[in-house]
Parts: sequence; C-alpha cells; structure tokens
Amino acid sequence: MSTAASVAGRRRAGLAAPAILCIAFFMGGPMCIMVFVSLVERAPDGGVIWGNFTTDAYKQFLFEENLLGETTLNADYLRIYLRSALLAGFTVLATLIVGFPTAMYIAMQHPRRRALLIFFLSLPFWVNLLVRNYAWLLLLRANGLLDQAAMALRLTSEPLNILYSNTAIAIGLTYSFLPLMVLPIYAAMEKFDFSLVEAAFDLGASRWQALMHVIVPGVKGGIVAGCLLVFIPGLGSYVTPVLLGGSKSLMIGNLIETQFAAARNWPFGAALAFVLLMMVMAAALLRAALLRKSRRAKSSNP
Amino acid sequence: MKLRTIASAALAALLGAGAALAEEEKQVNLFFWPSYIPDELLERFTKETGIAITMDIYDTNEALLAKLQAGAAGYDVVIPSGYIVPTMIQAGLLQKFDAPSLPNGGNIAPGFADPEFDPGRQYTAPYMWGTTGLVYDSAGTDVELPESWSVFFEPGPLSGKVAALDDEVEVFNAAAYYLGIDKCTEDPREGQQILDLLSAQKPHLLLYGSSGTIDRVLAGEVTMHHIWNGAAHRVRKARDTARYIYPKEGITQWADNLAIPTGAEHPENAKIFIDFLMKPENVAEITNFTGYMNAISGSEPYLTPEIAADPAVNMPAEYADRLRPGRECSPAARDLRNRIWTRLKK
Amino acid sequence: MGFLEVEAVSHQYAGTDAQVLNEVSLTIQENEFFTLLGPSGCGKTTMLRILAGFEVPSRGRVTLDGQDILRIPPWRRPVNTVFQSYALFPHLTILRNVTFGLKMRGVAKADRHGAARRALDLVRLDGFADRMPSDLSGGQQQRVALARALACQPRLLLLDEPLSALDYKLRKEMQGELKRIQRETGTSFVFVTHDQEEALAMSDRIAVMRQGTLEQVGNPSDIYDRPSSDFVAEFIGDSNLLNAAPDSQGRLCLPGGRALGIRGDAPARVMIRPEALRIAPDGNLSGQVTDLVYSGAATRFLVALDGGEETVQIQQTSTEAAGISMGDKVCLAYDPQQLWVVAP
Ligand SMILES: Nc1ncnc2c1ncn2[C@@H]1O[C@H](COP(=O)(O)OP(=O)(O)OP(=O)(O)O)[C@@H](O)[C@H]1O
Ligand SMILES: [Mg+2]
Repeated sequence: MSTAASVAGRRRAGLAAPAILCIAFFMGGPMCIMVFVSLVERAPDGGVIWGNFTTDAYKQFLFEENLLGETTLNADYLRIYLRSALLAGFTVLATLIVGFPTAMYIAMQHPRRRALLIFFLSLPFWVNLLVRNYAWLLLLRANGLLDQAAMALRLTSEPLNILYSNTAIAIGLTYSFLPLMVLPIYAAMEKFDFSLVEAAFDLGASRWQALMHVIVPGVKGGIVAGCLLVFIPGLGSYVTPVLLGGSKSLMIGNLIETQFAAARNWPFGAALAFVLLMMVMAAALLRAALLRKSRRAKSSNP
Repeated sequence: MKLRTIASAALAALLGAGAALAEEEKQVNLFFWPSYIPDELLERFTKETGIAITMDIYDTNEALLAKLQAGAAGYDVVIPSGYIVPTMIQAGLLQKFDAPSLPNGGNIAPGFADPEFDPGRQYTAPYMWGTTGLVYDSAGTDVELPESWSVFFEPGPLSGKVAALDDEVEVFNAAAYYLGIDKCTEDPREGQQILDLLSAQKPHLLLYGSSGTIDRVLAGEVTMHHIWNGAAHRVRKARDTARYIYPKEGITQWADNLAIPTGAEHPENAKIFIDFLMKPENVAEITNFTGYMNAISGSEPYLTPEIAADPAVNMPAEYADRLRPGRECSPAARDLRNRIWTRLKK
Repeated sequence: MGFLEVEAVSHQYAGTDAQVLNEVSLTIQENEFFTLLGPSGCGKTTMLRILAGFEVPSRGRVTLDGQDILRIPPWRRPVNTVFQSYALFPHLTILRNVTFGLKMRGVAKADRHGAARRALDLVRLDGFADRMPSDLSGGQQQRVALARALACQPRLLLLDEPLSALDYKLRKEMQGELKRIQRETGTSFVFVTHDQEEALAMSDRIAVMRQGTLEQVGNPSDIYDRPSSDFVAEFIGDSNLLNAAPDSQGRLCLPGGRALGIRGDAPARVMIRPEALRIAPDGNLSGQVTDLVYSGAATRFLVALDGGEETVQIQQTSTEAAGISMGDKVCLAYDPQQLWVVAP
C-alpha cells in the first residue's frame, strides 16, 4: 500500500518535472538575474560590473548624500512607491465597486446571453492598451467629446479639464483593469448556487443582508483573486499615468524605466524592481493569510 | 580585416549594387526608430540590390545600448544618436567601416564629416539631424514671441497652455541653456538651480508628453509645445500660424547615425545599404518623408519646396551658432540629472 | 376561514406557455399537518415557492391569517422553508447556519445560540454544531435544514421532500419526529412528497395534485378508501379498478354478468384494494392465477377473472397463500362494503 503510493507519487513527480523545470528556468532565472544585478556595481556607461558586489542600489533607495557629503534620508522614492500603491489600491476599490455588480448581473443572465456579455466585456482587451488610453485621451481632453457632450447638455459652460489629472488616471486605470476584476468574480458567481440567496431571503435576510452574508462570502475567492489581479498591474502601471496623467508625477514603472534609460543605472533599476516584487509578494501573502484566516474561522467556534 | 573590408567594398562597387559577397546571404537586418524611413525606399533598395530587408523597432538610444550590451546579435544596421556613439565605440559595440571610403562617402556635408563623437567618420555615417526647440501658434498669442527659452519657463499669459517633452534630458538641457549652466554639470548647487527653475515652471505646464505632440498643438490643447523640429514641421504644414523658435540661449542639436554593430551577420550588405542612403536623391526622399534634415551635400534639389522653405527643418544659416550638439555626460552628471528629474516628479 | 387560504391560484413561469398551476384553491388550518402529494413535475415545489414568496402567481390570492401575503417579500413572511436541495450555507458552521435566521432578525447572540441548540437537539444533531455542512451526510444535512427553519419559529413551515435522502430506518424515525415536532410547536406544516405511504402515515389532510390541478383533498382514509378518481385510486397504493354496469334489477355487474353485490343505476368504475380480496372456496369471483410475487410478510397474486378482460391483484399473508401456485383455479371473496364506486 505505502509502496504503491510512493510509486504513484514518484511517477507524478516525474511527469511534472519538465513543467517545473521550465517554470523554474524561465521565471526563476530572470528573477535571479534581477536580484544579482541589483547587488553589483554599476558600469559607468550602463550595464554592470559583474563580480563587484555592493548594496549601494538599496542604500540609494532610502538615502542620498547632501551637498555637504552627509548621508540623509531621501523620501522621494518612497513617495513614488506610496503613490503607486495608493493609486493601485484606489483602482482595486473602483473596479470592485463597478465590477462586482457587473459580474453579478452577468451571472444572473441566461447562459447564452452571459457568453455574449462576457465577450463584450473582454472586447477592449483585443485592443492594445496604448490605443485604449489614446481613446480616453480624445474623450477627456479639453473640448473633447466629453466636454462637448457636457456643454451640449448645458451641464457646464467651460471645459471640465479632466485630462492630465489624477481623475483621468483613475478613469483610465479603472477602465483598463475592469475585466480583470469582473472575470474572476463572474467565474465564482457562475459556480455560486443562487438558491442560497432564496434560502437567505426565506430566513429573513434583506437583500443587503443576503448580499453581505451569503453572496460575498460565497464568491470571496473570486473577489480576492480579482483584487490581486488588478492591484499587481496597477502597481506597475506605466502607460496610463504618462498619457492620461500628463506625466507630472512618476509611478514605479516610470521610475524604473528612467533608470535603464536616461540614468543608465541598472543596479538601481533592478533594486527598484526588486522592491516592487516584494510589494507584490506582500500582497499575495496577505491574500493567503486572509484565506487561511477565513478557513480557521470556519472550523472554529463561532 | 581591413584588407578584406576594402576588397569587398571594391568588389561590391565592381559588381554594382546588386551583388554582395557570395558567402553572405542576400539579407540585411535593420534595427531602427519607428517611421524613420519610407517603405518605398526600402522596396527600391531590395529591387535594385536583391537584398531583402527585415526591420525591428526600438525607441530610445538607451534601449539600443542596453540591447547590444546584453549581446543581442543579428542586427546589421543600427541608428544611434551622436551623443551615445562614443559610449558604444568604447564598449566595442560598433565596427569600423570608414564611411568616407564608401562610393558615396564623398557626399557627406562638410559640417558633418568630422564630428566630435566620431572623428573622421570611422564608425558611422550621418543620417537625419534636427533640433529640440519650441513651437507655438501665433494665432493664440496675438504677438510674435521672442526667440528665448524665457517664453517656455516663464509663460505668463500662456500658463496652462504649455507642454514640455516628457524627456529627462531635453527638459534638463533646456533649463541649463536658459540658466547658462553646463548641461553636463556635476555641481549639486547648479543642479538645485535647475530644479528650482523646473519646479517653478511645473504648475504652468499642462503636461509633460512626448507623444501626440503635433495633434496636441493642432487641437488647441496647448499653445506652445517643447518639440522636436520634425514634428514642428508637421505642425507648420497643417497650421501656417505656427512658429518654430531657435532660442538664443542655445538649442540642442541631435544627429542620428548609421552604424554597424560588432556582431552583424551581414556587414557587407550593411555597407551597401548605408552607401545607398548616402546618395543625395535617396536621402532627400527620407527628409521629405520624416521632415528632418539630412547631412548629404547635393540633396537640396530633390527636397519638396515646403521642406526647403521651412526654417524649422532647413535651418537659416544665422542660427548655426545657437546649435549645441547633444553630448554624453559623466555618470555623476547623469545621476544628478536623474535625481532632479525624480524630485521634480516625486 | 382557514389559517392559510389559497384562492384560485394559477401560475405560469415567465417565458414559458405551460400552465404549471391551474386554479388551485386550498384551505389549511392552524396546527395542521397538510401534505401535497403528486407525481414529479405536477407543481408541488411551485406551490411552495408561491407560499414562500419566491414566485408571484399569475392569478389568484393567498392570505395568511386573513392578511394578503402576495405583496409581502419572502424575508418578511412568517414562513420558513426546508428546501428540496437543503440550500445550507457552505461557508458557515452548522451552528451559524441554524442561527442565521435569528441573526437576520437581530436576536441577541446568547438567545440565538440557545434557540439553535434546542433546534439541533430536536433533529438529534446536538454534537454537530461546529462542523461544516460539507462534512455531513445527505441525511444529516437535511436535518440541519429542518433545524434551521424551525429555529425561526415560523407560523407556517414548508417542507419540500425533506426526508427523501434518508435511509428507510431513519426516515421512519424522522417521520415520527416530524409529527412530534409539529404537534409540540403548534406550527402548520405544508409537506411535499411523492411518497404516498409517507403521506398517509403523517398527514392530517392530503391534497393529491395532478398536472397543476387538485384531484382530491381529504384525510388519509378519504383518499385511500374513497378516491374521487381513477388517478387518485391508482396513485395512492395498489388498486383494482373494474368496469361495471347495472343489470335490469339495478345491481352492478361485471361484463361477464357476475353481480358484485352493490347497487347502481349507471355504468361505473368500481375499486377494490388488493388486501380486501381473499382466496376462499366460497368466493364470489373466480379465476386463474397468472403471476405471483413473494415479498416477505405478504404474497401478491395476479388473477385473471373468468369471463375475460379483467385481471385483479390480490394480497394475502404468506400463510394464507401457502400451497397456491401458478395456473391454479381460485375463488375470491370480499366484503361488498369495501367496494368503492370511483366515478359514477
Ligand atoms: N423556473 C422554472 N421555469 C420554467 N418552468 C419551470 C420552472 N420550475 C419548474 N418549472 C416547470 O414547472 C412544472 C412543475 O415543477 P415543480 O418543480 O413545481 O414540480 P414538482 O411537483 O416539485 O416536481 P418534483 O417532485 O420532481 O420535485 C414542471 O413541468 C417544471 O418543468
Ligand atoms: Mg419539487
């Protein structure tokens, strides 16, 4: 019995080995290189000096030398990271508020209609992100379509000046990432047994109570997955802040790009990318912790 | 090596443009900026020489440098800007081919035959060149503006109707010219002055943006745009009230160059291609397409009248002393610049 | 006027053209154990859904205690349901499932827990409070669903085949328990089943449904002994239905001419239950055994009556049946009082 099990286990491991090796090589490899580059000395003209190890890149993240040659705290990069995180967090919130009802609406349609709606929802994904952002640029810019519509409806007499602001970034990111929120929630909703909602109504739950006590816990996996799927690319968002935000404030993505471009400081760029990776990992760990907590809550005394 | 180069160049010349060396397949791989050469010209090259062309696209010199440093092989012709050429030569990324020795090598215009970044044109041949100045729509200002960066950094009534390029180097350089500071300064105090100027300017800018510049001016989103002169030319084509400024404090001149990477698989074909692009009628076609000036003598007769007549492209001679060639700064200067840029946008 | 009045309710699901319920009228009394019985697809669940508030009937009126409830949303009706598919909340423990209804109504935590423990005791699942629904067997889940509905102390409890997933023994036990709970709590039960034996054993009254209409409503012995139609007679237990016609003296006779022993003045369908027939040498009817099935306590025979056409079933205790085999000629006796004219 035990030997049979171990044979099966070994066979499984053997069959999975190529896939695992591929993942280790093509995902782990570049990541190791990134960490390595962040830990060596930069070459004067870009590139790095392999073998000269230093943690300068990480020091640069937090400290700078002032005019007198003293090392002082430099919060510029932290601020940029914080801004990116806030923006990503806001995007998660906005896509959740818009995406949850959307997913629920779709899940409650007739199956044939559902497929059609999902198709429409994912249509924008067929268009390049850059092009989609340009579309918003045309919509939002001064005297653009939105302004014209608002003025035609006599809602305003002046241009709204939405473009090149945080509002424009928020609109662009919410729009871009909405499908990433809707699809996992929809997938969870589709599996969700809506007769449970009737059971909740039967037991005296109002619509709101049924939503909060039955539907939300029932599709929690989808919600968490959606939040993560939006948060991670939101953190690294690059095109939207540049095009719709007028590039007045750097995001992590832009900052990293300048290190490999104009500044030609590869180790610092790699270090910045590594810090970003750590933030993403933290988000993933938080998710795991949340799931674990809810499982514990399930199996413990209420 | 040198012998072989000369021999093969001679052979290529002998057999006419159509024949490359027998051992080289009839293929040349370009690594180019986007929309920087007309397709018709490429087709004509293939028709005339029988050499097929493939093209990959990059969008910054740094991306090119990084790619070659990382060992990307297979590209035969690349197109680095002047300022980055010394770095690439030093890093051994380019091979010598002695541009003046090619059949059309004698056409290189005098001002471009012996640049600081590649004395004697051993590693590069000139391609397009241009300037980074300002364009404004005089219909939106009522008056002609002075030829100075002051209108950009202290826009007064144009506040909120001005856009800067989203380009660390260009923005920093413009500020340095205006303040009379060396653009490769390593002095933090000077850096602070530049930061102060840029920070004071920022609230008056509608945005920093490098793409869609032409459209932005034409749509009336901004009245003044920090701009590359080829784009300015297109603005002027669509709007005859548009004016291009060569500021008296100095204006960056950039010059792109054709070069052959060390790892090129078809260096002979690359030379045939580069030579093709030094023929006046061919390069004029590129100027007509891109709106950027070339550096080949004898191309003027082939230029369209609107290009020949546009001072934004065909610079009047009196501005020649305002040109400041792009330069590669030291790592310390680059760090300072990047810190200022980051702080400006923190 | 009854506690629950269903008046001429008809229902058609949106987007379909089939009439699922057709002019159904019912009256249910307080503290009554009322059963809806009928074949699959006849509209039993639909009826319950209308009572619970998940469907609004196309036509008709429903009042509870004199109050029109069709306008009241399900969460405000004093009605709870034990669902055919249990519908337990998979993310909540058994205890939280059972306290759910009370929590929604804002009952204090200590009180809810007390009520939930009592409800779980009632269905004999007191040790299971902290388990998850997925850890329970189908029968246990059904009992949790029952406890969950009972914990709300509804005035009307709707049960949609609540015992179908239980094994025979547990089912028998739970039938008794349900009866006991219903009596103790004084709640009106509307119980849906398609198991006629269960219906007969538990109900105060039974409504037999057929394709959206009510065939007959009555107490179990009405339904069993005095069915109003062939359909009821055949659906409830086994029955023999014989065509009979009056002779010149007004006696109902079989087509072969043999008199049944009751009177009538028109052709009729006459029912007699298999257990009312017995094999006896002086029997009124005679025939030949064509089939026999032994089933423990009893043996069933099929007897082809002399004179053709009719075949009847009879049921005998196994001792009575000893010594009779296929092909034997037998005579059948019965008490004429056990004959029932179904449709005059
Ligand atoms: N949501 C619905 N939409 C359309 N038709 C439905 C719907 N639900 C049920 N029906 C139809 O209504 C009829 C009655 O269904 P119902 O579920 O009430 O039967 P039931 O008596 O409970 O059957 P069972 O004993 O199999 O549970 C069936 O023909 C069914 O197909
Ligand atoms: Mg049913």
